[in-house]
Amino acid sequence: MTVVVPDLAVAESAGAGTGRLRLEALTKTFASRTGTVTAVDAVDLDVSPGEFITLLGPSGCGKTTTLRMVAGFEDATSGQIRLDEKVIDSMPPQRRPMAMVFQSYALFPHLTVGENIAYGLRLRRRSREEVATSMRMALTSMNLVGLEDRSPHELSGGQQQRVALARALVVQPKVLLFDEPLSNLDAKLRGSMRAEIRRIQRMFEITSIYVTHDQDEAMSMSDRIVVMNQGRVEQVAVPGEIYLRPASVFVADFIGRANFIEVVPESVSDGRAVVHALGQRLTAAAHPTVSANDDNAYLMARPETMKLTPVTDGRTGIGVVLRSTFHGPAVDYEIETTSGTLAVTDPGADPREALAEGTNVNVRIDPDRAYLLTRD
Amino acid sequence: MTALIHEPELAPGPAAPPRRRRRRRLDLGIRLLLVACVGLVAVGSVVPLVAVLAAAFGPEALPRYARFFSSPVDLTILRNTLVLGGLVGLCGTALGFLFAFVQTRLAVPGKRILHVVALVPIVSPPFAVATATVVLYGRRGVISNGLLGLEYDIYGLDGLVFVLSLSLFPVAYLGLLGMLRGLDPALEEAAMNLGASRWRTLRTVILPLLAPGLVAPFLLLFVEAIADLANPLVLGGDYTVLASRAYLAVTGEYDTTSAAVYCVILLVPSLGLYVAQRYWLNRKVRTTITGRPSGSVHLIDNWVRWPIFGLALLAAALIVSIYGTVLLGSVTRVFGVDNTLTLEYLREVVAGVGREAVLDTVMFAALATPIAAVFGLVIAWLVVRHLRRAAGLLDLAGTLGVAVPGTVLGIGFVLAYRPERWLGPVEVFPSLVGGSAIAGGAAAIVVAYVIRSLPAGQRTAVAALTQIHPQIEQASTDLGAGPLHTFRRVTLPLMRPALLTGLSYSFARSMTSISTIVLLVTPETKIITSQVLSAASTGRYGVAFAYCTVLTAIVLAAFALIRLIVGAGANLNRVATDNERPKR
Repeated sequence: MTVVVPDLAVAESAGAGTGRLRLEALTKTFASRTGTVTAVDAVDLDVSPGEFITLLGPSGCGKTTTLRMVAGFEDATSGQIRLDEKVIDSMPPQRRPMAMVFQSYALFPHLTVGENIAYGLRLRRRSREEVATSMRMALTSMNLVGLEDRSPHELSGGQQQRVALARALVVQPKVLLFDEPLSNLDAKLRGSMRAEIRRIQRMFEITSIYVTHDQDEAMSMSDRIVVMNQGRVEQVAVPGEIYLRPASVFVADFIGRANFIEVVPESVSDGRAVVHALGQRLTAAAHPTVSANDDNAYLMARPETMKLTPVTDGRTGIGVVLRSTFHGPAVDYEIETTSGTLAVTDPGADPREALAEGTNVNVRIDPDRAYLLTRD
Repeated sequence: MTALIHEPELAPGPAAPPRRRRRRRLDLGIRLLLVACVGLVAVGSVVPLVAVLAAAFGPEALPRYARFFSSPVDLTILRNTLVLGGLVGLCGTALGFLFAFVQTRLAVPGKRILHVVALVPIVSPPFAVATATVVLYGRRGVISNGLLGLEYDIYGLDGLVFVLSLSLFPVAYLGLLGMLRGLDPALEEAAMNLGASRWRTLRTVILPLLAPGLVAPFLLLFVEAIADLANPLVLGGDYTVLASRAYLAVTGEYDTTSAAVYCVILLVPSLGLYVAQRYWLNRKVRTTITGRPSGSVHLIDNWVRWPIFGLALLAAALIVSIYGTVLLGSVTRVFGVDNTLTLEYLREVVAGVGREAVLDTVMFAALATPIAAVFGLVIAWLVVRHLRRAAGLLDLAGTLGVAVPGTVLGIGFVLAYRPERWLGPVEVFPSLVGGSAIAGGAAAIVVAYVIRSLPAGQRTAVAALTQIHPQIEQASTDLGAGPLHTFRRVTLPLMRPALLTGLSYSFARSMTSISTIVLLVTPETKIITSQVLSAASTGRYGVAFAYCTVLTAIVLAAFALIRLIVGAGANLNRVATDNERPKR
């Protein structure tokens, strides 16, 4: 066996302006019994220094494989990974200036909390004082003071999570990688850890790639979200845009809930289209692929962007209330219309005044928050 | 093996029937089973052990201790024994780790074959390895002398360590293989990700995590090595160990008191280390802490793999050469000297004088195997599911058959069961061992087989049971099934793989058992292994090899038969892991 002294000069302090990560046509195929499976299909991505990017998608969409290629745990079949313009494809994981927070935390069970955090520092042959200083800072910033002599299994899930984060942070990586780090925590803790991770990431301005299948997590944490499906990137955008201007039916459907109403646009100009939907004529933003008289278009409207008005005095409306469900913060309705069954949310409704099932209603779509896209 | 005992959880809520509250009242069927198990263990290992202790602490024995500890010869024997145990423990564990590491961490071809080769010694008949080693690597060895021109004296400590390490290492290999496979790959990835090289990862993460795992096989091999009788008899030369000394005291000097003293001195390290080993294994195994294991194993694919692989190949080549010699030796006149093919030896074993031994051995082993496997299963079930405070005790008692050296057990049998027991004029208990024993000593031999092979089945069953979530059984009880019905309909089918292993191990162990048996055979009952001993010690290697070959063939055929009868069984791991892991 050989003793490879890692070239840790690369791994030295990040500092501002570094940590630009570029994936160029990154592809990974696996051989399987039936042929080859493309797990990651020509993914292009440009991550600015200090940016927090989330890879979001259903399981098997290739997000974790992409992350593991960045970390160096998987070799790319083709394509390139550049860190600060330098191609790092052939660099083994231990020499990449990155640190990962694992889903299982992967804390070393035979080491104490302090030794876990110091592990990477000792590898970098830091002096005893330096290790002590960095560790104290990490413990303080992660709220772990007093736990340094504990064993990992004596800690709660949230504390283990913070140790894992501290262990990754102290080596001052240029890129932080997160592999579904919160999926083992309960819902409440998950919320506070999200804020914690984001706070730390902003404080140190470290480029971060975060993998999750939880859209809430992606929405609340990311500078930009990369939605992936079947190995391909469906859309890269800021959370608001992903939500209200999804690039495809898949994205719209995966993130939050969406109603898709079949429409034929009358005219399209400057990215805006005029359509008839649910007895309403409206002008809404449209995806570039949508053209006039396109019989392949959907009007996408989120449930909370639609408003119901009951139709009284015996007339019929555009739809009928099929079911109403009280959720605490909102009442959800299912409305049967000629354009299919729609989901409509009435936030802040008083459950005692909810519309009864069978009520005739009209539906109004907020044109500013509706979006036209092409069917897949 | 972990003996985590699941406290049977009471049905929640006040709806629990009041009779459940009268805890500690075991079901009648369970109590009967318990009595049967205790009875078997008492007859098979506790009584003989007590007999040895009684003889060893009798008034005439006490002066022997003073003599033992003041005699340089005896002290050398004690030192020899401990040195042998330590060296075999070290070499065997190292060899096991080498094979397990190659298997789980190297990107090299032919790992399947290597795995099979590593398991071959499990079925090894005693003496086979020792005798073949003499033929190949002794002073006139086919390889050492014929090929390399060396005159190497293999008799003594070096030969013993070589042979015992090669014969015993599969236990260490299998244990470490499981541990290396169970290690969360994310731990290694985390180390690499923080900048650790492969070597550094091995040193700072893998080895510390495996350390408890390395101690257990070391202790187990230590115990087995100092208990071994067959190899010191053939290969020891003038390197005497306690087991062979005690054997000589009984068979050569008819001095059972001295034998008992040697036994007790041998028992102290054996039992002590065996218990230590169990303690190590029962500690909480440190693997992953939370979450599901993630990531994938990174195989070493640079040049470093080749020297490691080469080392493993060398060991594999030694194993193959030794077993090849056994096979070839049985069909050639004098292997290495006169390689004329001959079926004479095999004919002698199968159709000639050996026929009786083969038939007897197979019959006794076939009788003992199901008994041992069933008792192993039942003890495991009682230990894991039904007993609380007594569980550890029964578990230990059941495994006494391996913890107590075979020679000691054999001498215990002689002491306890050779004399008839008379109560006044009435013979209440006939002689079971020796020339005048009933059924030619067959009963004692079968009991010895059962006791010696019980632990293997019991350990696999305990391991399998702890993997089955108690809620599966609780569901059955909840639907109205009694514990025995639950065992038969739910637990047993789930444990079929463990039963399969238990049966196979039991049969193999019975067929190859020697150290106890050699003291129990009578002129009327011949056992293959003792025939091998007499053939090997008189230099009739061809016959010895023929016996070994036939024995191995029978064991392999039995494996196939057992598999056919029991069925391969459902994949237990799936059931277990689906229940252990948190749902997403």
